[in-house]
Amino acid sequence: MEILVCIKQVPDDSVNIKMNPATNAPDLDIATPIVNAFDTYALEMATRFKEAVGDSTITVVSVGPDKAKDAIKTCLAVGASKGYVVKADATDTISTADALAKAVAKIEEAEGVKFDIIFCGKESTDCASGQVGTMLAEDLDVPVVTNLVDIEKIDAGISAKQETEEGYNVVEVAMPCVVTVTKPEYEPRYPTIKSKMAARKIPIGELEIGDVVAPAVTVVANAEPPKKAAGVKINEETLEESMAMALGMMRDAKVL
Amino acid sequence: MGCKNVMVYVETAEGKPVNVGLEMLTAAKEVAEKVTAVVIGAADAAATAIAYGADDAITVDAAEYNTEAYAAIVAELVKKYAPEMLFVGATPNGKDLGARVAAKLKAGCVTDVIGMKEADGKIVLTAPLYGGTIYSDVTVEGTIVAIIRGGVFKKVDEPDTAKEGAITAETVEIADLRAKIVNSVQEISESVNLEEAEIIVAGGRGVGSAENYELVKELAKLLGGVVGATRPVIEEGWVSRAHQVGQSGKIVAPKLYIACGISGAAQHVSGITGSDYIVSINKDEDAPIFEISNIAIVGNCVDALKIMIEEVKKMQA
Repeated sequence: MEILVCIKQVPDDSVNIKMNPATNAPDLDIATPIVNAFDTYALEMATRFKEAVGDSTITVVSVGPDKAKDAIKTCLAVGASKGYVVKADATDTISTADALAKAVAKIEEAEGVKFDIIFCGKESTDCASGQVGTMLAEDLDVPVVTNLVDIEKIDAGISAKQETEEGYNVVEVAMPCVVTVTKPEYEPRYPTIKSKMAARKIPIGELEIGDVVAPAVTVVANAEPPKKAAGVKINEETLEESMAMALGMMRDAKVL
Repeated sequence: MGCKNVMVYVETAEGKPVNVGLEMLTAAKEVAEKVTAVVIGAADAAATAIAYGADDAITVDAAEYNTEAYAAIVAELVKKYAPEMLFVGATPNGKDLGARVAAKLKAGCVTDVIGMKEADGKIVLTAPLYGGTIYSDVTVEGTIVAIIRGGVFKKVDEPDTAKEGAITAETVEIADLRAKIVNSVQEISESVNLEEAEIIVAGGRGVGSAENYELVKELAKLLGGVVGATRPVIEEGWVSRAHQVGQSGKIVAPKLYIACGISGAAQHVSGITGSDYIVSINKDEDAPIFEISNIAIVGNCVDALKIMIEEVKKMQA
């Protein structure tokens, strides 16, 4: 089976991004670029799927700058065996989805394959729009199932366990299809020294895809959210005293 | 101001509009001359939408929610009625639907809209980036698909049930569905209404155990409030994910938010800044949650919960 995993390199989401007053833009230099967490779940699910069905190849693709190759390298050490970076003037979701759709066609042509299933993270931790996987499916005119926590191969295609607000749906769909992945019950695997060494030797393809759909969304300003003024800090000798003081203040403020 | 017409897709659950569906009508009225509500597979909800602010409504008959089908319907309606903006609520289904409709229309789509204004004759939408640490203002060329976060706009207090508005039934042909929901399993049976809660008692990893979490639940119950939780707590399995507050959970705006053992990661904080009054308890004097708290208590949150429960019991006796 031919499996494609779409990934995005994002700033480490455990770092609080602040505005850089000098550039008046978010200061991304303070956060290490990493593979988007949901994409690591997508790759892990794809890798388990590959192991379950056997005789499959996982290719990873990312729309991004040259340094996105680092993110692809990381993926090549934990399940993927081919990687491509796509250069495109894609600054919003419709242009990114269009770039990916065109990249899919290019990779299929270059490798002489047809992808059976395309995995995406349900959203990126930086923009969190959750749009690209769905848009890619629409562009490729294939079905999509979002928010997967598990997947299984069935005769008719796949059976996907889709997380919902109250529980889950079991969704059956034929391939080719797109799936987007949320946090499953397992964690992504770690690379070994051996798998890292092997990944380093795999060349990463660069794709030129020509024009993409013009972005429709333009950022006009960024700012840090308005700060809520900090109130009173209470740290008395004993917790009983602190709590008595706090409860008194809460009563005065009429919130209790 | 702003634009001539906005179409609002009002999502329904068991035939009734969900909160964000009605909240968006308020937002739409502020920017548009005419607001058209769209309800699918729940014709009775059209009258409710009109009472909550829509000028008129379109109903389409369809089976229960399926993104492929509903996106085809909404995209057809947008093509036919040509609104300048389409509003969809940022529920899990709404996010799928909005993206799919935008892809069909090649329209610019903005998720988790938390603000809307007009500048230089253009609509400017605000949405959070980087886990809510940055708010980004964007403009959109052409038709705008805005996926609007729940709890940001307020639905009208007194719906005007006497208000009249045209309700038009439309029919849209749907191709065969490719993704089929063969089973829908309800694992979480409790109804957790964090969005409308006046009091929320929430716990973080600092609460320490499922056993200790019972204290969070007890205090919430005593105060007539709702239990909230951070993502680590959900992952530990101390409460169901219906209780999650923050970027990937519910955005809340209660009168009182009590945060126990919550350090204050940006992803959580961005979901609670709409609270009127925040009381937090943390053993770490430098916990980021303290920066946004009206009262910050330095100490063991489990002991603090026990004291608070006793005190509230005395007050209520």
